[in-house]
Amino acid sequence: MKNNNLSILLKGIIKENPVFVLILGTCPSLATTNNVAGALGMGLAALVVLICSNVLISLLRKIIPDSVRIPCYIVIIAGFVTIVEMIVHAYFPALYDMLGVYLALITVNCIILGRAEMFAGKNSVGKSALDGIGMGLGFTVALVLMATIREVLGNASFAGNPIALLEPYKIEFLVKAPGGMLVYGLLIALVYVITRGKAPLKKSFSCAGCPNAGSCQTACTSAQAPESEKGDAQ
Amino acid sequence: MKKSVQSTIVLVTICAVMAILLALTNSVAAPIIKQNQDAAANEALLVVMPDGEGFEKVDISSYELPATVTEVYKEAKGGYVVTLTTAGYGSGFVIMCGVAADGTVTGAVCLASTETLGYEKTYGESFAGKDAAGVEAIDTISGATKTTSAYKNAVKDALNTAIILGGGSVDLRDEAQILNDNLSAALPAGEGKFTKLFIAEVIEGIDAVYTADNGKGYVFVIGEEFIPVDENGSTDNATVKTAYDILVASVVEDIDLTAYGDALKYITAAKKTASGNYILEAKGNGYGIMGGDDYHPASGEYIIVRVSMTPDGKIIDTFTVSQAESEGIGDACADEKFYGQFDGKTESDYKDIDAIGGATLTTNGYLKAIERAFDALKILEGGSN
Repeated sequence: MKNNNLSILLKGIIKENPVFVLILGTCPSLATTNNVAGALGMGLAALVVLICSNVLISLLRKIIPDSVRIPCYIVIIAGFVTIVEMIVHAYFPALYDMLGVYLALITVNCIILGRAEMFAGKNSVGKSALDGIGMGLGFTVALVLMATIREVLGNASFAGNPIALLEPYKIEFLVKAPGGMLVYGLLIALVYVITRGKAPLKKSFSCAGCPNAGSCQTACTSAQAPESEKGDAQ
Repeated sequence: MKKSVQSTIVLVTICAVMAILLALTNSVAAPIIKQNQDAAANEALLVVMPDGEGFEKVDISSYELPATVTEVYKEAKGGYVVTLTTAGYGSGFVIMCGVAADGTVTGAVCLASTETLGYEKTYGESFAGKDAAGVEAIDTISGATKTTSAYKNAVKDALNTAIILGGGSVDLRDEAQILNDNLSAALPAGEGKFTKLFIAEVIEGIDAVYTADNGKGYVFVIGEEFIPVDENGSTDNATVKTAYDILVASVVEDIDLTAYGDALKYITAAKKTASGNYILEAKGNGYGIMGGDDYHPASGEYIIVRVSMTPDGKIIDTFTVSQAESEGIGDACADEKFYGQFDGKTESDYKDIDAIGGATLTTNGYLKAIERAFDALKILEGGSN
């Protein structure tokens, strides 16, 4: 059992990394990763929201009727996001200014709704909390990794501290939006190479792993996509 | 049915609980957010008043302040930081100016502008540490006269604001308004509309004469005094009466310029008074005419200067009839401050005047027009060149 819990916690970090493997939360991944501080703040904010919403949704999973579960999830998630937003605004104004609208947009971050639908709505409170922590950490690690590459190479600095050595060689393109796309794509490829052949992947990428699976399950089953390559189902 | 009721209740309950949580968080966070924002606003104030503390916004609606003032913050030690929006050369700019309790400027910065040359970005630095007299003494920048004089006026407005808010009183009227108010006080029948009279006679002791646009009389200015003469010409001041009689008796007749041919080609109009004085309108080449005399690519217009002179070559009065010089720079030649400098000058010293900043070509063209008037005077008086 302990082993199982550990795997729930760890799977979010690499094997089912929400950004690089599940390809969720793409928008903040591109928008907030041009500097490490912003990426870390974004990751942690999402982590907090993810844990809170996962726990609450798991607690309420037997009470929330199936027909209104999505509105319920969204109210809960939006509530936590707003709370986090207020707290960040009050205590970390610099981070608030840096993240801008993306902080409020955590509400519609598919990682959170996705985990609520895919995991918290079906599992116990403890497991849901672990899933939230794992996925949140996975998100944070992914953002910080992307941001490190983009900021160090693109702006010759790390978390705002200039690296004089790299100053003449900086590739400014990387801190711009297309540079984000490029780094993102390369990291997805890298993670694919690292995790290649690991069995559970295919299942989580099939229709069952989709947040919309509930509403289109039948159509999905009948027209099951050939799962020869994991990329097909994305 | 039961299911839908249950769904509704659950959703409403969740909404209510989240709303309560939000309200609780907001009650904690809102004051801190407000505090942070105030601190950030104060930071901007500190730029213009580095040792200021405890800024507090002043409600300025109950004060009569200069029109440029938009916002005022009072500082704990009695200073003020004033935000002003002023019209410059373009669509205007916003500056923030700090005034210490002793009435000196602690700093001035431009917050936003659409000026063309960018002088407003650094011009404010020259005001730091200056008092009202010091501000007055700061030169405007040649070539950006409009921008910098608007800036300077805004700083003066800030100083006045500090005086007014400190309980003092300041005359907020500009020069033209003060003059008009004085004229109206002297001659209420003029209904506030007066025009400066162009004088072609030597009248002793009188600085200027204004005529009411509605013909209800004149106002003679002697130093600080404004003495009215009603439409029947009655006044109790002897000097003014003498002057008035001279003006009324003044008869002018046109001089036929065609008789002189090319010799007076730069004179567009000439008149002679019964007392022998001349009123000449001469043209000069302002900015844009660098080569030929008859070519003005910038505007197609000459500067036309009207000048009245005694037969022995002393300027009585000068007036800019028309000009098309650059707005905000050369058009200062139509300002009485400029052409008023020529009064009383002769051919030997008429060039000893303050040139128009940043408009050398305009100034030179103006001087050329006056030189031509002197030349014409010699021809008209001597009968030959």
